[in-house]
Amino acid sequence: MIKLLGAIIIIVATTWTGFEAAKHLSERPRQLRALRSALQSLEAEIMYGHTPLHEASRRLAEQLTNPLSTFFDSFAKKLTDTETTVKEAWETSLKEVWKATALKQGEFEIMKQFGETLGRHDRFSQQKHIMLTLSHLEREEADAIDRQAKYEKMVKSLGFLSGLLLIILLF
Amino acid sequence: MEGILNFLPKNIADLINQIPPEQKEELEEIRIRINRPIEMTLKGAPKFLTYIIQPEDAFHLMNKISHFSIYTLEEELKRGYITVSGGHRIGLAGKVILEEGKVKAIRDISSFNIRIAREKVGIAEPIVPFLFKNSWMHTMIIGPPQTGKTTLLRDIARIISSGNWSKGIEACKVGIVDERSEIAGCVNGVPQLTFGHRLDVLDACPKAEGMMMLIRSMSPDVLIVDEIGRKEDAEAIQEAVHAGIKLIMTTHGTSIEEIRKRPSLKEIIDQDIFQRFIVLSRASGPGTITHILDSSGKELTQKVRVT
Repeated sequence: MIKLLGAIIIIVATTWTGFEAAKHLSERPRQLRALRSALQSLEAEIMYGHTPLHEASRRLAEQLTNPLSTFFDSFAKKLTDTETTVKEAWETSLKEVWKATALKQGEFEIMKQFGETLGRHDRFSQQKHIMLTLSHLEREEADAIDRQAKYEKMVKSLGFLSGLLLIILLF
Repeated sequence: MEGILNFLPKNIADLINQIPPEQKEELEEIRIRINRPIEMTLKGAPKFLTYIIQPEDAFHLMNKISHFSIYTLEEELKRGYITVSGGHRIGLAGKVILEEGKVKAIRDISSFNIRIAREKVGIAEPIVPFLFKNSWMHTMIIGPPQTGKTTLLRDIARIISSGNWSKGIEACKVGIVDERSEIAGCVNGVPQLTFGHRLDVLDACPKAEGMMMLIRSMSPDVLIVDEIGRKEDAEAIQEAVHAGIKLIMTTHGTSIEEIRKRPSLKEIIDQDIFQRFIVLSRASGPGTITHILDSSGKELTQKVRVT
């Protein structure tokens, strides 16, 4: 009886681990998509609204969901409340929020580079920079979707099956 | 003054805060140039602070002026100056970028000239009797730069738009075409300085076009325009005058004779449109009125000091 209970607990634990890992894989393309649409909204604010950065990011923070919302919110706050540069504010806000996302180092570098160009050029070069960042992110997204298709199911089954193996060995 | 300090990088703002309060009142300009000491103009005389401006200071200043968004200032960078809240104007110089032979923007800005807008409520009161007889008269204010033309014009606008019961002057509808956002000091289209209720402002609008727009859209009694000087301005003036609207404007110059020689203004002067000319100078500080002339150039009074 106790054996059976232990077996069930092992199966549940490993399956759950597998699902968690799979969730990470499926979360990344979703967040990348959200990030891209956020940058597109930023582009619209810059190109057609002539909105200053702090105002634009405050609006973005209202529209978006977490974790991007927290990111833009803290960026806007840093710009208005502290003596800083866009580059610094952008980077520190990125670092603060990065742990809470499923995104990887590659995306971090892309976003960091984008922050260095933000607010320093006229509208059209600003748009070019956004376009460039978008295309970089698009590539990352394609890669993320690819990985999801390849590994998501595998990770899930792997969790369950490794639990099964453990039970067989123990019995 | 406080408004200006908010725009300066903290270290520079602290330095300027250290000067005595009575000198702060006299401050006309703050000039910031990379690798040079800060220059302040007090009552026309320069005063230098020992602090040498570093390139980072200029970068921070530009960031603050633009709210970290250079792209919002495209038009301003083309014209070479930015108006900030409170009506202060910041002139810029640096490397100019051309596109098809026209100025596209100024990049690598190395000089900033912060002109402090001084609101002097009441300075136009003494000259009102010269400008108002049953109705307001077409008036031209003439003066070299930094003689308080705009300050005087602003106060005239205030008096016209609020009226004066004791003198029997009713408030009139006033339209201001504020090409450089200096007269009304608009932020997001709302005038920041003291005016009466009957005032409409077209902010940052080219003068010639703006005058016609206001006539069509707001039916003003009096039109107020700053720094007339181009051919198309003169044309718009003629249109406005013949639409039955009173005009009050300023122009650069030292005397009426000099204005007469300017090709763009010659025509409207010759047509005797203007009924009053006010000539300003810096003889005893900005805002010294040297002459008030009638349409034929005859003197109406001598030396009224308005500040």
